[in-house]
Amino acid sequence: MKRLLVSALSIVLAAACHRAPRATRAAMSNRPSLYERQIGKQVFQTYCAGCHGDTGQGDGFNAFNLDPHPRDLSDPAFQKKTSDADLADAIRRGGAGVGLSSLMPPWGHTLDARQIDAVVLYIRTLKQDTGAAK
Amino acid sequence: MVSLRRLFALSSVAFLAVLAVSPVKNSMRPYRAIQKEYERIGMARATTLKAAQAYASNPIAIRQIWIPDFDNRVDRCTTCHLGVSDDAMTNAPEPFTRHPETVHTPKDFARFGCTSCHGGEGLATFEADAHGRTADAPSPVLPAAYTEAGCGRCHLGDFVSDAPVLSNGRALMEQSGCFACHAARGHEDFRSDAPPLDTIAVKTGGEWLRQWLSNPKGVDPNATMPNFRLSRQEIDELSNYLFSRPVTPELQRAVEAAAAEPPGNAANGKTLFAESRCITCHTVGGKGNGSAPELGTIASRATRGWLIAFLRDPHAFNPQTRMPRYGFSDTDVRDIVAWFEDDLRDFNAPKSILDPLRVNQTLAERGEKLFKTAGCFACHIKTTKETERFGPDLYGIGDRRAVSLDFGKRTDLPRTLEAWLDAKINQPRSFATGLKMPTFSFDPEQRRAIVTALLAMPAKPVPEALRVSTPRQASLVPAGTIGAIVARYRCLSCHQIGTEGGDISTAPLTFEGSKVNRDWLASYLQLPYSIRPILPERMPVLKIPAEDAAKLADAIETWYVDPSIPDDPFAGRPASDRDAAEGQRLYTTLGCRSCHIIGNNGGYYGPPLTDTKTRLKSGWVFRFLLNPQRWRADIRCPNYGLTDSDALRLTAYLETLSSHKETRR
Repeated sequence: MKRLLVSALSIVLAAACHRAPRATRAAMSNRPSLYERQIGKQVFQTYCAGCHGDTGQGDGFNAFNLDPHPRDLSDPAFQKKTSDADLADAIRRGGAGVGLSSLMPPWGHTLDARQIDAVVLYIRTLKQDTGAAK
Repeated sequence: MVSLRRLFALSSVAFLAVLAVSPVKNSMRPYRAIQKEYERIGMARATTLKAAQAYASNPIAIRQIWIPDFDNRVDRCTTCHLGVSDDAMTNAPEPFTRHPETVHTPKDFARFGCTSCHGGEGLATFEADAHGRTADAPSPVLPAAYTEAGCGRCHLGDFVSDAPVLSNGRALMEQSGCFACHAARGHEDFRSDAPPLDTIAVKTGGEWLRQWLSNPKGVDPNATMPNFRLSRQEIDELSNYLFSRPVTPELQRAVEAAAAEPPGNAANGKTLFAESRCITCHTVGGKGNGSAPELGTIASRATRGWLIAFLRDPHAFNPQTRMPRYGFSDTDVRDIVAWFEDDLRDFNAPKSILDPLRVNQTLAERGEKLFKTAGCFACHIKTTKETERFGPDLYGIGDRRAVSLDFGKRTDLPRTLEAWLDAKINQPRSFATGLKMPTFSFDPEQRRAIVTALLAMPAKPVPEALRVSTPRQASLVPAGTIGAIVARYRCLSCHQIGTEGGDISTAPLTFEGSKVNRDWLASYLQLPYSIRPILPERMPVLKIPAEDAAKLADAIETWYVDPSIPDDPFAGRPASDRDAAEGQRLYTTLGCRSCHIIGNNGGYYGPPLTDTKTRLKSGWVFRFLLNPQRWRADIRCPNYGLTDSDALRLTAYLETLSSHKETRR
């Protein structure tokens, strides 16, 4: 009887569900899970750290070949004035795409939206006053 | 009659009451309040009337995901975790938070459910039961720190993309030799890298061996041998045993003959050492790759005779070693070892550090026993049968119930599997006296990675259809002359061919024949230069004779080709000067120079392109530009999403780059 009642009432979760437009996803989330930070860190260290440095200070080993220098991502003023959506956009379209130096390549064809969101979340943890956060 | 009626009435009431118990109980279940709360939060967050109505019209009911193909799983987690795929629930309070986006979520909720990744009791609808917080819960929810263990239950490969912690844990377990003592699914034929101990008596001295046995990592930070916490007495016994073992006669003769050779030229040795790029695997003073021993004090670690004989033919000493057999001349080797003796020694070591031990037979006999009882043989004498593994097996370790674990003396630990595993790895002998597992010096992050890898070992493997692993291909290295050359120079210690090989080199060789020009390769093999100057790992100058280099280059040109890469990307219509000029403009606008040098302008993150025409085949350049990651998944060069015609123009430009005025030979 009880089982009947339960199964009659149960609903299998529909997989097809409404999703917000991609660009806003990173902006919506300000509480990344540990897993998302791990993914973000992995992507950052693979693709970004060579120029932006392990701690995002724009001091990667390739940085001094570049003029203009890579952005100091840990700079609190920069972090404050740049929204998540702007960061994701610069990563996706590269410097040339957002009116900055073409030395920053576009990653939109290499990284998927999820990886870009994850790296944006990770960049947020690089802000200087919480600089030790990893 | 009246009493019968009364009885009937009474029993009807009783029956009704009994029937009512279930709905009443159900109405008081906590999930109902949770679902009402979700409705309230949802309506508050809704931005349209329609959305708000949708929250309001959700019936209060148990929700479940049923997956008949996956062990008939029923996950009712979404009864409370209602917002997992609801964008409006980003940052909502638990249990309503939207699930972070991963490779599988939200698209695969219906395919895998929840507990297949996260653990927990899918059928339960009370929080404590569902999350397995009760004593003796069969499957507690994985703590966030070990989330990636869930990935590893289906993804069985060593490297799992999007699971960095799990991948790291699996690599650490492999490197540290865990499977030499512990049997585990998928590692049945594991063999340790530990060297055979047959030449100890002519290799080193009693004092060095004593230091090593008391703390291998203290002697060499790259050591993979763990610390067995041996007592002085045990160290004496083991040393005596190891020195009492007979040395293979040919090797003994080779070492003795080498010791009697005249001294070499240290200055020349220093140059040879630097150009041989030993730090591609070794370290000197901590600089280098670190997958092979530190050489900073090598001359206080091994005798001159042994070093000379070993460098001439490492494979005679250790058939399994990853060390190539360089094409050094006899004098070259003497010179290198002369430099070791001048500079690479432990200047604080006692003079007697390499003096041989005078064997005491009684101690040696006890040492022989200890060699077995301490488990030394598990790594140093290779066993392949899993039944002979020295330690307990790891089958299903990730599903062990906490109550079945022996916490012994560790009353300080939380009674959970992950705490137990972490402590077992950190201080294996703190649980009871007489335990034999040695101590590895893992830091907390490494332990977290290893525990993640362990938690990914299920009691019952997931259904075959869900397992993801790259099947091992048959070896692509042919037997015969080429196989012998590849084995001699140990190409596979660094490079990958097919699914075989190490990962020290960034260049897999599976399709090398489609990538580089044959003539360039033949000369590069004889005199390699650094293609990626930023990496300490560079192709060593192996002193490959011209004849062998030519054979290898021919073989690569013939076999290691990707048929999908065109020989002529221009399809018979050679690029014009205008195409090349257009390509050069693209090179500038795309910012290629941030990573590549042409001439003396540009960064050095990627390889210099000055000699592209000499080095690379145009078909490969074209294909690479279209999708760099096809060549190797973690390649840093971004995919610019170029059109075929732009990629062709860029190829045309790069093909004009050559520092040589005319094509060589």
